[in-house]
Amino acid sequence: MPERRSTNLAWFGVLPVVLVVAFSAVIPLMTVVNYSLQDIFDLNTRVFVGFDWYRETLRDPRFLEALVRQGLFSMAVLVIQLPLGILVAKGLPKSGWRASFMLVLIALPLLIPWNVVGTIWQIFARPDIGLLGAALAGLGVDFNYTASPVDAWITVLMMDVWHWTSLVALLAYAGLAAIPQAYYQAAALDGAGPWEVFRYVELPRLRSVLIIAILLRLMDSFMIYTEPFVLTGGGPGNATTFLSQYLTSMAVGQFDLGPAAAFSVLYFLLILLMCWVFYTLVMREAHE
Amino acid sequence: MAEVKLEGVSHRYEGARAHTLENLDLSVASGGCHALLGSSGAGKTTLLNLLSGLELPSSGCILFDGEDVSKLDAGRRNVAQVFQFPVLYESLDVARNLEFPLKTRGMPRRDRQARAVEVAGRLGIEELLGRRARELSLFEKQLVAIGRALVRPDVALVLLDEPLTAVEPARKWQLRRVLKQAQQELGATMIYVTHDQTEALTFAEQISVLHQGEVVQTGSPTDLFERPASEYVAEFVGSPGMNLVPGEVRDGSLLVHGHALGIRVAEAPGACTVGFRPEWARAISAGSDGPGVPAQVTDTRTQGVRQRRPVGVVRAKLGEREVSLRQALDVTTGDAVILQLDQLVAFRGGAYLQGWSRVEDGTYARA
Repeated sequence: MPERRSTNLAWFGVLPVVLVVAFSAVIPLMTVVNYSLQDIFDLNTRVFVGFDWYRETLRDPRFLEALVRQGLFSMAVLVIQLPLGILVAKGLPKSGWRASFMLVLIALPLLIPWNVVGTIWQIFARPDIGLLGAALAGLGVDFNYTASPVDAWITVLMMDVWHWTSLVALLAYAGLAAIPQAYYQAAALDGAGPWEVFRYVELPRLRSVLIIAILLRLMDSFMIYTEPFVLTGGGPGNATTFLSQYLTSMAVGQFDLGPAAAFSVLYFLLILLMCWVFYTLVMREAHE
Repeated sequence: MAEVKLEGVSHRYEGARAHTLENLDLSVASGGCHALLGSSGAGKTTLLNLLSGLELPSSGCILFDGEDVSKLDAGRRNVAQVFQFPVLYESLDVARNLEFPLKTRGMPRRDRQARAVEVAGRLGIEELLGRRARELSLFEKQLVAIGRALVRPDVALVLLDEPLTAVEPARKWQLRRVLKQAQQELGATMIYVTHDQTEALTFAEQISVLHQGEVVQTGSPTDLFERPASEYVAEFVGSPGMNLVPGEVRDGSLLVHGHALGIRVAEAPGACTVGFRPEWARAISAGSDGPGVPAQVTDTRTQGVRQRRPVGVVRAKLGEREVSLRQALDVTTGDAVILQLDQLVAFRGGAYLQGWSRVEDGTYARA
């Protein structure tokens, strides 16, 4: 074995990485933190205000409403997409060209740019010319996502389900494919029915991939911006204004840099907290 | 527990050209322990799946206690199986794993708990009952899997698919003993499938050798050693297997590799194959008295010491053929030797013909 020497030279070795991370992550983040503590009138006029913007943001009813809306949306996404994804995965062919074909087919929505997804559904659900909207109108259903908050929510959720359930399905499919055939045979000999096979053979072995699926879908849905922006623009009213949307309107639309920065930091901390919770869960899973 | 009978069972997988199993007969007594021995590709797994109902036979009958179950699927056949690696419900604890097959069959909670405790007791795993299945060692898991196979009081048949494969070698014997004991105490009918002849020969009373989808011989371990039905069985059973050398029947006497041993036979003249197990022959230095077959030692392998003398396997060349002999290593490579045969068998057309063993005066008698 080569001799081990402690040398400060090694620090120069990691310097490039430190610089890259500093410029790409830490410095922009600190800029935002800096903004969040000041009231900015113009480029030369700024006042230090301490934690005022944080206090204000946390008292801002529109922020709190967006947060609740965001929570509800992410919950709905998980509640719908997880079972649906598993169901789709179970329904897929196990092998052969059919399996490959179906996998490519269901992966297609994942490959579509987000604003295109928004546009697709914006047109698809339009009551005048959209296939879905017009069909519903033809059936006498009064469906209008630009006028009714409920319809807007349904459309946004359907769009997200269409866009992302495939991800859950692919993960679950991989998890199911990893279960040795003997487990199914043993269950069959034990007289287990389909529900018992799912509950005691498949679900326990899907645990790890489902945790990943939950993590990815929760994070992603929590940061959703593009699709509802294209589809509803956050409306009608504020019905589909989620956190990102409200943040953007604050920073870009109204140019309230200080409050927007405070909002950003809070938003970031929230996501960081969720990441930490899931990281802990995943690590605990890995140890079992 | 049930008497298990297979009558003319054939199976061909969908789309396959050839039959995996062809016209197979098998009979296992109620409470008996039967081993199916075969190399990979012999059709062992297919036969297991036919017995458990995971596959249905293309033709033929499978009878449990005389009742035709050929068309019943796995859930309705009341068969249990232990797999090569432990298959458990990993999220459940040991007790609930053991109770699982009883629960699906609607046994009341109290009864199945009592039964699980009883079976755990027989296997010596009571202290594991509260543990989660995924926390157990491989050995413990396989014990629990065996317990789950034995837990149904009325189980018709327990299938064992090389259940010792995954267990570390040192604990194989322990597991085998526990299994054997539980089988006797619970009186389960068992079919043990393996490619490992030691497992088969030590575990079962009756062994069927499976080759290319057919049962080529069924018998006790002694039968398989002493009277192999065919040259295939002769070579397959035993390690090393039986030595096979060319022989001939000429003028009413058996010649081994051209040498007469004084064995009179009534068979028609012509070529045959002579077989002898490594334990049945001994190489001694040339020049000794008595009938024997000349050979040359090509290799010796020490496998132990008995009474201060090395013992092991001697490899010797008889013309073109090499044979193995298990004996004391009092000959060395290159020695010209004489092979003295204590026991031998003859095959003709691949099938067993006759066997002889040497009696005290040096002559041979029919075995």
